[in-house]
Amino acid sequence: MSILWLGTYLRCYRGQLILATLLGLLSYCCALGLMFTSGYLISKAGTRPENILYLMLPVVMTRCFGIARPTFRYLERLFNHNVVLRMTSKLRAILYRALEAKSLSIRNMHRTGDILSILSDDIEHLQNFYLRIIFPFIVSLLLFVVVVVVLGAFSLALALLMLVLLVVMIIVVPLLSYAINGARLVKQQEIRHELYTSLTDAVLGMRDLLYSGRSESFISSYEQTDDCSRFHLSRSRSFSRRRDFTWQLFSLAILCVLLIWSNMLVINNRIEVNYIAAFVLAVFPLIEAFAPLPEASGNIPLYEDSVKRLSTLEVPQPASTIALSSFNLTAGVTIEFKQVSFHYQPEKEILHDINLHIANGEKIAILGASGTGKSTLSALIRGDVTPSSGEVLLNGVSSSHFGHEISSIVGVLNQKPYLFDTTIGNNISLGSPHASRQELEAAIEQSGLRELIETLPHGLDTAVEEAGARFSGGERQRIALARIMLKNTPVVILDEPTVGLDPRTEAKLIRTILSGFSQTTLLWITHHLRGMEQMDRIVFLENSHIIMDGTHSQLWAKYEHYRTLYQMDSFQNML
Amino acid sequence: MAIFAKGWWQYNKAKSYVTLLALISFAQALCIITQAYFLAKTIFGLWQQDSLVSQVFFIIYFSLALICRHVLSFLRTKVTDWYSSEVGKTLRQRLLNKLFVLGHSFMVKEGTGNMVTLNLEGIRRIEHYFALIGSKLVNLFIIPTVIIIFCVVIDWKSALTMFLALPVIITFMILLGRVAKARATACYHYYRRLSNHFVDTLRGLETLKLLGLSKNYAHTVDRVSENYRNATMSTLRIAFVSGFSLDFFATLSIAAIALFLGIRLIDGTLSLAPALTVLILAPEYFAPIREYSGDYHATLDGKKALDEVERILNTIQPSGNTNSQKYATFNQNSTIMLNNISVASGQYQNNTDCHNLLDNISFSWCGFGKIAVIGDSGAGKSSLIELLGGFSEPYSGEIVIDGLKSHHLNEKSWQEQIIYIPQQPTIFQATLAENIRFYAPNATANAVRQASTKAGLDELLSELPRKLDQLVGEGGRALSGGEEQRVALARAFLNPHRNILLFDEPTAHVDIETEYQLKQNMLALMQNKLVFLATHRLHWLKEMDWVILLKEGKLNWQGYPQDLFKSSEFKSLSFSFYAENENS
Repeated sequence: MSILWLGTYLRCYRGQLILATLLGLLSYCCALGLMFTSGYLISKAGTRPENILYLMLPVVMTRCFGIARPTFRYLERLFNHNVVLRMTSKLRAILYRALEAKSLSIRNMHRTGDILSILSDDIEHLQNFYLRIIFPFIVSLLLFVVVVVVLGAFSLALALLMLVLLVVMIIVVPLLSYAINGARLVKQQEIRHELYTSLTDAVLGMRDLLYSGRSESFISSYEQTDDCSRFHLSRSRSFSRRRDFTWQLFSLAILCVLLIWSNMLVINNRIEVNYIAAFVLAVFPLIEAFAPLPEASGNIPLYEDSVKRLSTLEVPQPASTIALSSFNLTAGVTIEFKQVSFHYQPEKEILHDINLHIANGEKIAILGASGTGKSTLSALIRGDVTPSSGEVLLNGVSSSHFGHEISSIVGVLNQKPYLFDTTIGNNISLGSPHASRQELEAAIEQSGLRELIETLPHGLDTAVEEAGARFSGGERQRIALARIMLKNTPVVILDEPTVGLDPRTEAKLIRTILSGFSQTTLLWITHHLRGMEQMDRIVFLENSHIIMDGTHSQLWAKYEHYRTLYQMDSFQNML
Repeated sequence: MAIFAKGWWQYNKAKSYVTLLALISFAQALCIITQAYFLAKTIFGLWQQDSLVSQVFFIIYFSLALICRHVLSFLRTKVTDWYSSEVGKTLRQRLLNKLFVLGHSFMVKEGTGNMVTLNLEGIRRIEHYFALIGSKLVNLFIIPTVIIIFCVVIDWKSALTMFLALPVIITFMILLGRVAKARATACYHYYRRLSNHFVDTLRGLETLKLLGLSKNYAHTVDRVSENYRNATMSTLRIAFVSGFSLDFFATLSIAAIALFLGIRLIDGTLSLAPALTVLILAPEYFAPIREYSGDYHATLDGKKALDEVERILNTIQPSGNTNSQKYATFNQNSTIMLNNISVASGQYQNNTDCHNLLDNISFSWCGFGKIAVIGDSGAGKSSLIELLGGFSEPYSGEIVIDGLKSHHLNEKSWQEQIIYIPQQPTIFQATLAENIRFYAPNATANAVRQASTKAGLDELLSELPRKLDQLVGEGGRALSGGEEQRVALARAFLNPHRNILLFDEPTAHVDIETEYQLKQNMLALMQNKLVFLATHRLHWLKEMDWVILLKEGKLNWQGYPQDLFKSSEFKSLSFSFYAENENS
């Protein structure tokens, strides 16, 4: 099945592939031709013809073949590599698009190590699959046909004998190699995958390994796995050595057959004596052409998994979304939850019959312990998930209708905003790639980044390093905040953005957020109660229901539970 | 020569390896000559219309030579396979050990993806590199030499042609090789960037999606890939031209040799048998060069990877000092002293923009106790915890523990006493029980259960069908920030004998209700230990014995918690956020 996928995929490049194949075939034919005419030429010269003109034709042909062979080979390699790299580009795009469609659940589906191995293994393997297996086999088979047909013109029996010998060399031995070495390689690849996973874990959890004193035991178990992989490798290599040796014996047989046969043709006066050397010498480039096949076929299983994995990636069909232009944003956005229930598994309801109306410009806090479905509210508003029953409406339109257009209506600042390994300026500009310099400056000012950026060695052009490692948590949040501010959406959801920040940074960040989004509808998802008095309204979730709803002073007056939690989280209780 | 990495011969037994292969190549060259000689003799015999039977011995000799030749190939592969695997194995071990010495911050700088790839793909390339040096490069020097010496004997004029072709080929190879090398070097960094770009993009996919950019970003991925293709193609075009010129001159020389042979055959100055021998040998003469040129790239890749590995192996820790102190178990009478400690960022690179993470910190403590480290983000709380854990080295100052002076604490006997709980603990891809057992692999199932109860994991366990045997980590069930923290706490609860606890904002990702549930158990764990708790959850201060207040890397204030509340430093700290809350 997966090979079929590859077929449809290669078909996109049919023209270039056919051209490359022809060039490959021609370059081998020229190699054969060169040795053939050379052998003939000097044998003929050995007969000492009176006139050198008798040698004219073979001389010209020798020269032609000599020049044509490297030229064809050069062109073939260029064409092939260009096609292969095009395919790689396309595959990366496919991989990206397939993952993009699933991105909101990506954390559970793909391990970082896996993505790396898909990257470095699958796509590169596919390049090699084409260059080392598909292409050489196609060219060899064509060459095989050419050789058998040409010899058949001289003698049917010889053509049959050569057919048998060559079938063994380019089909039987490779198949055996595939069957025997293939399994070993699969095993080896599994082990390598294990190495990848455990190494990725170790690299990320290095401190734990060191403190637990288990780094040595990790290293030794890693080495054991490595040894195991080497053991399988050495077994498959030892098979390859024996196979290659046997294969060479067949090439000896071909040489002898052609030697004897050409001699017989001479005895029967079918050909001139000068052709003996021609036929025999042409055997060498022929064998050289077929030599890589057995090894290549043994490697096929290495590619099977890659092809299989890549072929299961589906490029999603674009979902139908409503055009944003039909959606009037000037009047602001009201959000309406109508009897919304939500569950991933039927037995565990996360939200039950939620009714909530959020007016335009309202600042609302969503409270509750972790796992009470606060973040699900956000996903429902964005339309990333659809309610099990009821509906979520933005200005009366169901949120699931917006598709990816939703991001121009709803901005999200979450716990771990990702900073890309580029400059800080580029990271901010992601919010609105076409924003003017002034807009960018304004967003930086609003998010309180100006001071930080002024201290950086290269200002906005300073690299943030891998995953923003250069900056502290609070700084990373501010960079992400600038991004959202630049985006300038009518609704902003803050999904616990201050988690992991110290109180002072948190307080500053909250102040920046509240002043920066004064016109915006704000949903602040949090499990901290600090700053609640600044919100228009507080909604408290517990056991999939809204148990409290009102302003800070209303809740303070009404609920003992709220008072306890508020005091617990505030500072006064420790004095 | 450019293809040799610096000091490659220093590798284990490299000299005997190359010597052995040289002997094999020499024997093989003799086989090639014998084979050509007898094949030519056979053809000559048949050409003279001698009977096939009279040629049988020649055919046998030539067949035997060919078989011998391939037996030698067999031996060569065996040797190179074995040797390259040995080298790869040793390098991988050294690299892995070194990475553990250089530690976490180094890896973050280098890119964790890069490190994993270098260790696996990079080492494989290096193995291939050594195999290539062993087989093809040795062949390159020996086989053509032996063949040309033989040709001088039987027909010196052809030998001269072959000999003259060589400098032309080699000049071209070096010239074009240089250009290709420069391109490849540029491309290698480009490739690294591309590789990181793609992974970086995938990791940030969620953020891209939230920004509504993910669809359009596909074009960026396409563009970067296409740039990479263009860069690669421009390198390949040159690399292939060098292959082409080699091929071209080699085939042209063979054609020329055939022509000259022909002319002298017509003259009668040469007999057909030696002419044929030379003609059969001519491709063999060029074959090693041609074979090698195809692998020139692989050699470059291997060499690059080897340089990269060498660079990491030769990276010295900032001070390069080793700590050979043996620390006794920290007890109630032990003392720890930090004297004028300063740590700077970016010590691994010669960065111009390095700044002080810790600035002239002095602190001493005797016996067990709970020490809170507070301060704004970026004040140096984490840096202090890193220092105490032995993961960073000060550029000045010293650390004295029980009278043992040292420059840093990267010492096994110290680290073995530590339990470290960061903001985001690593969850390994393993079962929940194995994760909890991480610091105590031999703990009983019962102990693991008790520890998980203490850490508040019971609720999570009740949701998991396989309970403690549930696979977690990146491949298994994803854990929430709070759950990850509980697993880390369970690890600590399972190890009552480790006397030093380093907490780096352990409850940052736990909601307030859960935090209070956990607090009592954590306080129990902290009894009779040396605890450093970096936190910004100020309610912890009530239970602490001592407080260190850091500001911009400096020790701003230290003392008893109750005194902190009266200090002006604290007022400035607390006032700022309370005033904000109350004002608005």
